[in-house]
Amino acid sequence: MTTIVKAFFAALVGLALGLWTTQAMLAHGGPFETVSLGPWTVATKAGALDADPYTRASLERSGEIPLALGEGLQLIARSDDSGRPLEAGCVYKVGPHAPAARYWTLELVDSEGFPVENAAGRYVFRSSEILRESDGGFSIYVSAAAHAGNWLPIGAPTRFALVLRLYDTPLSATAGGIEKAAAPAIARERCA
Amino acid sequence: MRFRARLAEAALYGFAALILAALVHFVVVLSIPLAAERDAFARVADLGPAPATYPLPRVGPSLRRFPYADPAVATAVCRFDLTNGPVRVLAPTGRSGLASLSFHSRRGAVFYAMTDRAAAHGKMEAVIVTAAQLRALVAQDDEDNPSEDLRIESPTREGFVLTRVLSELPDLYPAAQAQANTLACTPEPASK
Repeated sequence: MTTIVKAFFAALVGLALGLWTTQAMLAHGGPFETVSLGPWTVATKAGALDADPYTRASLERSGEIPLALGEGLQLIARSDDSGRPLEAGCVYKVGPHAPAARYWTLELVDSEGFPVENAAGRYVFRSSEILRESDGGFSIYVSAAAHAGNWLPIGAPTRFALVLRLYDTPLSATAGGIEKAAAPAIARERCA
Repeated sequence: MRFRARLAEAALYGFAALILAALVHFVVVLSIPLAAERDAFARVADLGPAPATYPLPRVGPSLRRFPYADPAVATAVCRFDLTNGPVRVLAPTGRSGLASLSFHSRRGAVFYAMTDRAAAHGKMEAVIVTAAQLRALVAQDDEDNPSEDLRIESPTREGFVLTRVLSELPDLYPAAQAQANTLACTPEPASK
């Protein structure tokens, strides 16, 4: 009698633990086959024919249409340069350089990968539209309140991520092809 | 002694729970691609019957269909089915910033991609074939007058083609969408 109860309890714990770890790993695309570049990560095998089961499962579940390696690379940051999670109450400065690419775009998304509603109606910056310094460098300010210069509004999510897409880039995501120095920094300026 | 016996029993149940958790984890991860009904292909199929071309709605906070899509990029898709023969894909390039073409299998993997750098005579063109159709075409080829078609073998009979057209400025988005909409997927005539 007690053995059955104990076994049942163990089975329940096992089932819950299995489902929970699966959910936790897939929620962030899984830790497999990613390359880190400062605060940015690249899922190197997203959409590839030989993608690992975690990458594949997380793509299938989300319905995302991945950017092909021949088209470009998608970098995602969920924390700043110091490793602190991005917070809606803070001001971040992104720049001054981006890796070589014909075009790049910087977008702000919620935890599920969709743009966040904001009064300015601004969801993305293109490399071809931003204001630049005389030396070609740029600063994009990510904040909830309006900011001078290139302002990417946060809207009002609790958690958000920054997505940097490099189109037609000579960079290869494999085997250290990405130089750390090339990625834009995400500096936390101040917090409310 | 009794204490040690209880400890051993607890450890046994704990171990069993862990094994079960691992088993559940791997079964779920591996079975998601088989069970996913809301993957990218299913979402594309919702748009309408093949082989017509459908524009994807502009990415914004209110429309939550394809996550991690770029609001600066206009897209259009067409589905293909190789059951009745190869399908020719044609995407004219325009004066937009950048255009690309990617080929996706039924299972979501990208099996080929190109940008407008690979375009010839102002258009990106390719013929999607199955392995058997490719063999038949190669056997038919005239050695003195080789076909100029770019033939791409699809790992699955069904799939979809997506074109991305980047708008250099927000105002140019409608023009980019118009260009994306010119994507055409047409079944090849049975024999020539």
